[in-house]
Amino acid sequence: MAGGGGGGDGEPEFQIAPMIDVLLVLLIFFMSITTAQVLKVDKNITLPVAEHGSKKDNSRAEAIINVRWEAAKKKAFYTYDDKPYTDLSKLSAALAAAKKASDKIAAKGKNPDFRVVIRGDRDGNARSVSLAMNAAAEAGIGDISFSTANKD
Amino acid sequence: MKSFDPNAQGGGIFGFQIAPMIDVVFVIMLFFMVMAGAVKVERELNQKLPGTVETSKSVEFTDEILINIAENGEVQLNEEPMDPVGKRQMPRLTAALMRLKQGGDAAKAPVLVTIISEPDAKYSRVVDTLDALAYAEITNVTFTLSAEEE
Repeated sequence: MAGGGGGGDGEPEFQIAPMIDVLLVLLIFFMSITTAQVLKVDKNITLPVAEHGSKKDNSRAEAIINVRWEAAKKKAFYTYDDKPYTDLSKLSAALAAAKKASDKIAAKGKNPDFRVVIRGDRDGNARSVSLAMNAAAEAGIGDISFSTANKD
Repeated sequence: MKSFDPNAQGGGIFGFQIAPMIDVVFVIMLFFMVMAGAVKVERELNQKLPGTVETSKSVEFTDEILINIAENGEVQLNEEPMDPVGKRQMPRLTAALMRLKQGGDAAKAPVLVTIISEPDAKYSRVVDTLDALAYAEITNVTFTLSAEEE
């Protein structure tokens, strides 16, 4: 069988192996850029749109509070770590415990990078988000980020 | 010379079929390519809550800029009405904030903005305002609710 790619007299032969290599690389590229984003989106919450928000910093230790708004009940529901919280003082205690655990892991005993990310529903009111901020403040966390989407 | 025939049958040995594999890989790749275009990227707007300052350090006092958000979505900058309600983009507010930021940079004084929202104002309107502040590169932002409504 003739070897491919040689500078022989015959017609150039179609090489299947490099094509498969290129295909697989493209496949892995598109898989990585889609799945990494999709996993983080909670379908119950519609994030508000902010085009000028900064890129999400995944390197920092964080606690994510989901503030889901139920329009029918006109009420906000808070979840943290997949657990629902109706009593925000308990949420505050859970955040304080998370911060303490993060401080222990950090080399110097304090982790200044620990922050709270609030994923608020765009239909919710300012009060519902403010209460989540209040819970973070009571836990001694002053660094707060609001999650937004880049487009509708 | 014996040539390779991918469709060769018989012999009891199952040969590896390259053509169907390429078909499948193509379909999967097309799926992920289409998904990549539609995917929403999560972004963030950062804020630091006001805290205590060590008394031994000197504190710089700066002019505070107040942004009020009414329940109907009306936004006021230092009690002056800005853009109309209903539109997400706020060009007038953004332009005013950019002017303030440039003025602050020229005077080497940090621009401090406090957003005072009515409790029942929409959260999305607060985010619109924070987005305008992010565009104007103003980072010293505080968010609070108006006291009289509480």
